[in-house]
Order: sequence, then C-alpha cells, then structure tokens
Amino acid sequence: MLQVTNLKRSFKSGDTTVTAVNDISFTVPNGQFASIVGRSGSGKSTLLSLLGALDKPTSGSISVDGKDITKLHDHALIAYRCEKIGFIFQGYNLVPNLTAVENVMLPMEFAGLAKAQRLERALSLLKQVGFSDDQMDRKPGKLSGGQQQRVAIARALANKPKLILADEPTGNLDSTTGKMIFDLLHDLARSENTTIIAVTHDLEIAGKTDTTFRLDDGKLAKGSQKGKA
Amino acid sequence: MMAATLIKKELIMNVLTRGIRNAFRNVIRTFSLVVILGLSVGLSLAMLVAYQAVGKKIDSVKSSVGNTVSVSPAGVRGFEGGGNALTETQLMSVSKLAHVSSVTETLSDRLTTSNTNLVSAVEAGSLGQRNAGNSGQSFSFQGGGMPPGGAGDTIGNSNSTGTVTRTFTPPVTVVGTTNPSASAQGGTFTLKSGKTFASDSSDNVALLGTSLAAKNNLTVGSTFTAYGTTITVAGIFDSGSTFGNNQLIMPLKTVQTLSAQAGAITSATVNVDSITNVESVTTAAKKALGTAADVTNAAAQAETTIAPLENIQTISLYSLIGAVAAGAIIILLTMIMIVRERRREIGVLKAIGASNLKIMYQFMAEAITLTLLGSVVGIVIGVVAGNPITKLLVNNSTNSTTTQMGMRAGRSFERGAGRGFGGLQNSVTNIHGAVGWSIILYGLAAAIIIALVGSALASFFIAKIRPAEVMRAE
Repeated sequence: MLQVTNLKRSFKSGDTTVTAVNDISFTVPNGQFASIVGRSGSGKSTLLSLLGALDKPTSGSISVDGKDITKLHDHALIAYRCEKIGFIFQGYNLVPNLTAVENVMLPMEFAGLAKAQRLERALSLLKQVGFSDDQMDRKPGKLSGGQQQRVAIARALANKPKLILADEPTGNLDSTTGKMIFDLLHDLARSENTTIIAVTHDLEIAGKTDTTFRLDDGKLAKGSQKGKA
Repeated sequence: MMAATLIKKELIMNVLTRGIRNAFRNVIRTFSLVVILGLSVGLSLAMLVAYQAVGKKIDSVKSSVGNTVSVSPAGVRGFEGGGNALTETQLMSVSKLAHVSSVTETLSDRLTTSNTNLVSAVEAGSLGQRNAGNSGQSFSFQGGGMPPGGAGDTIGNSNSTGTVTRTFTPPVTVVGTTNPSASAQGGTFTLKSGKTFASDSSDNVALLGTSLAAKNNLTVGSTFTAYGTTITVAGIFDSGSTFGNNQLIMPLKTVQTLSAQAGAITSATVNVDSITNVESVTTAAKKALGTAADVTNAAAQAETTIAPLENIQTISLYSLIGAVAAGAIIILLTMIMIVRERRREIGVLKAIGASNLKIMYQFMAEAITLTLLGSVVGIVIGVVAGNPITKLLVNNSTNSTTTQMGMRAGRSFERGAGRGFGGLQNSVTNIHGAVGWSIILYGLAAAIIIALVGSALASFFIAKIRPAEVMRAE
C-alpha cells in the first residue's frame, strides 16, 4: 500500500517560490494501476520524482508498506530505489552501448544478483515483453521506440519492485504501439501484483486504469479519485 | 560464502568492463584523445629521458674534473711571467684549511748545458727557436740559479755590434715534488722501471721520462750530473706526452737545496675532500695567501661547461612538468565533458539503484582506459623520440661554448687543473638518452595518477547529479 500524506514540494526560483506539489494526500492499494493526469506544469513529474525517492519533499510523508521513505538516509534510499521501485521513462533512457539483455541485467547487478541469475531473469523478462531471441543482443540504437520501451519495462520489473513509476510511458510512441505498451503494463501489474503509477496525457489510457488522479496547479482536483480505493 | 565473494568480484568486474567499454563509445573522440594524450605522454617521457641523460652527464663531468685547487705564485704560468715563489710556510696555512685532504707541492726548474750533462730529448724546432729571440737581454745570470728564459749557453751571443745570431737548445725541465706520481705533465704517470721516492725525501735521486732516459742512455741505477751533483736514476716513467717524457722528477727538498731555492714552491695542487667543497677551499686559500698567489680550480671552468647542460636540464624539467600537466588537464576536461554529456544516463543509473561510488568507479575505469591507451602511444613516441630530442637539445646549446672552452683549456698550463680538459669537452656532447623499463613504469604510474586526478573532479560532478534530472522533459 502506498500512502501519501500532505505532500508538498516547493522550489525557489529567484525571489519567488514555486510550489509544484501542494498538499497532496492519497492512497493506492497494492496491485493497482493508477494514472495521474494534468496539464503540463501541473506537478505530475515532480510528484513522480517524490514517489520514486529521486527528490525529497519540502514536507509531508510517503509511506510504502508502512515505511516512510522521506525519512530514509541516502544509502537506504539507493536500496529503496533499487529493490522497491521500477522506473519507466518517456525517453526510455536505456544505456546506449549496452545490449537489450545487458540493460535489463543492470538493476539486478546493483541489487547484487549473480550473473547467471541475472541473465536467466533478464532473458525471461524480455520474452515476457515480447522479445525474440535474436533481438535480445541488440543495442537500443537498433531497436524501435516500442521495442526500447519494452526493454525499459523489463528493466523496471527486473528486481520485482513493489511499485512501478512510469512517466509518460507511451508519450513517444504512436497510438497503436502506445496501446500495446499500456496493455503490457496492465497485464504485468496483475500477474506480478505490482502497483503501477503512470503519468499520462492520454485520457483514453487514463480511463482504463483502476484509479485516476487529476492534478491542477500542484493540487489534487476534487473527485478525481474513482474506482476501488 | 564462496558464492558471495564470487558475486562481489563479478560485480566489480562489471563496473570495470562497462567503464572500459564506455571508453570506446565515441570512436572518433577516443582516437583524438588517445593521439593528444600520446603526444603529451611521449613528450613527458622524452623530457624525462633528456633530464636523466643530462643529469648523468653533469655528474660525470663534475667527477671527471676532480676535486683539486691549483695554487701558483701570482703572475706566473709555468715559466712565463714573473713574481716571487711561494714559500712552504705559506702553503702550510693552506694545508691546514678545512676540507683539505692533502697538498702536493712542486718546484719547477730548468736544467741547461751549464748545470747538467743531460741532453733534452726534444729538438728545438721552430717553436723552440722563438725562445732564442726573446731570451733574456734584460736578465742576468745569477749564481747557479735559473738561466734566463731557458736559453742555454749555446747562445752564440754577444754584445758586439752587428748581427746577433742565437741558437736554442730546449732545456730539461726538472720538477721537485712531494708527490711524484701526480707531477708528470701529460695526465698519466706510469712507472716503467725502478721505484719512486718518498714525499719528504731529500736524496739525490730522480725519475726520468722515458724519452729523456733513452736519449741519455740512462737506466735505473745510472747516474748523471745536475747542479754539479751526481744524481742516481731511481725510476723511469711514462707520462703519455712527449713533453712529459722529457721531464725529470726529483724530491722537492733535493731541488730546493741543489738550486739554492730553499723553501720555494712554484706550484701546488690542493686536494679537497669533496667536489662540493672545492669552491669554499678556493675562497679560503685565496684569503690565506692574499695577493701572493693565483688560486684557481677546474670547477669554475667545469661550471662553464656544465652551464648549458644545466640549462637543458632545467628546460627539460619544465617541459616535463608542462607535458604532464597538459596531459592531466586534457583528461580532466574530457572527463568533465563526458560526465556532462551523460548526465541523464548517470541519473538513470542512480534511479535504478546504482550508488555514487559504483558510477565513479565506472568513470575512473573509463579514464584509466583512455589514459593507458594514450600512454602506449606516448611510450612509442618517447622511445622513438627520446634520444634524438636529447641530442638535439644538447648539440644546439653546447656548440658555441665548446669552441670557447677548448681554447681556454688549451691555454691552461697548469698541472692538474688543465688536465684532461680536451677529453671533457668531447664527452659533453656525447650524451645518450634511452627509454628504459624504469622510465616506462614511471610513465604508466604517472598516467594512472593523471587519470585518477582527472576523474576525481569528474566524480564530484557525478555526485552532484540528482537522479531527478531524468524526469525532466527532453
């Protein structure tokens, strides 16, 4: 269970203070697929950074399975990101000189898995996201956008995280591929019992998720939460 | 337990392999960087080679000059000039100076047909005949002492009006000394037969140069007359020079007594305990003897020879530092550039659970790979260019002084000080620089230090990159 309480993050820009995330509270139960929608500049990405412990909030707390991650030290944060969180980015952000399988193995290496296990799991994950054997040794430059995002999804799942944070996962893809990627994420969330929070522009996609949060000027718009929460 | 260490080892290996692979991500950049680094490392090595070769040469020049100080009466060079002889009392004060290990005292005199039955082994020749012209109108003979200007009594002189015809027979030089083996003119002293005499001897004995002995049919044990006294041949020596082999070496006391110059010294060689003290002993001796003596040392002359070498050494040292610094700056800037270029990737690595340290190791491995590649190129350049560069540097800056010094050395008539100067001059330019294993190891060690220093600042930037950067829209 992900529980966000009175979360606030403000930036100082010259003399003015901009509050990107302003007093947000919500909960997402395990295994749910939640989407965050909103105009650009509404604080979606900042919220995602805070949830992924990439950034520290000005105030408030984020509790994952009862543990407040805003109180963790740097070292524990690295471990948290490594073991509990999987990231999927709009620009895929694969390491360009590593092959697909090596990219998927990377987080497992940081988690301390032996090479044989890493390789085995990476291959099975890539198969799960629809990779054929001959594609696994390709570098990102030789893969299409959809294929790269599949690698990114496999990489996000590598350490069996509790929470997958996706920032516009379909933003760079055409609508057909975007839908396929979304369905893939949805299936995986169910089969691996992983909570997924995806920031998106695509209302059609947002409409299919279990929960949708609408952000407006850093605040959660009223009545945006629906579904089984 | 075993598995855990294996995994750990494996993990480190991965960070390293990624770093090494990253070094080849941009082939054109890697190639250019390796070439530039190679030039800088190669120049460093060449300069190190030059520095060492020149340093070695300076040491050998210094030690070949020897640690002696020459003392002669003021105004006298050999038999030229004038002035008064030094006294044993005066030299006693020199031998008591600090750092003086011993003093060789000599009294030179010339034997002519008037006071010896020895015949010179050297013919007058055209150079000798010059002495016939300038020999001593203004001198007058004084009781058994030195005949004027070395002209013998074969000078068919006279005060009669009309043409003066003079012929000249070279005199036999006699050296009275406290150290016979150091007193032969010509650099070396090899006793061919017989034995030498003690330094404080006052016996009527003599060592003869080989040609002088041969000319006069003398062997060890034979006798001849000098100063109206019968002298026994104690030994025969070879000095390695025609002039030296025409010499007669006798105990100092004997010459002083026989030539009626008691206590007189015409030259002395002061041996100093260490080359570094030559200058201070020279100064002290000058102070002790005042205006009575000319005190010189070869170190001052060697200094002139060494000066251009020392300039080269300084130049090569600065070039070395400059080249190493340039290499360090190149790798430093490149690493900063690479880190800035891969901000997003570093952010991703941090986001998916890499620690700052692991990312730093990866970049260090990359920097070391690049630097080592540059070093290999640099070592090749250094091996090829080291010796030519050294020779070029040395030849260009010593040519002018060599001629100058050669002249000066040639003019020097002093025993000891001037000895072997020609050889010294030749050897100054005979410098060989070579890249040895130790230099290559130094080079590699320096390269790794440069790489570590270069990536240290880059690591600072790595640590500062916040993983949230990845979330920024492109």
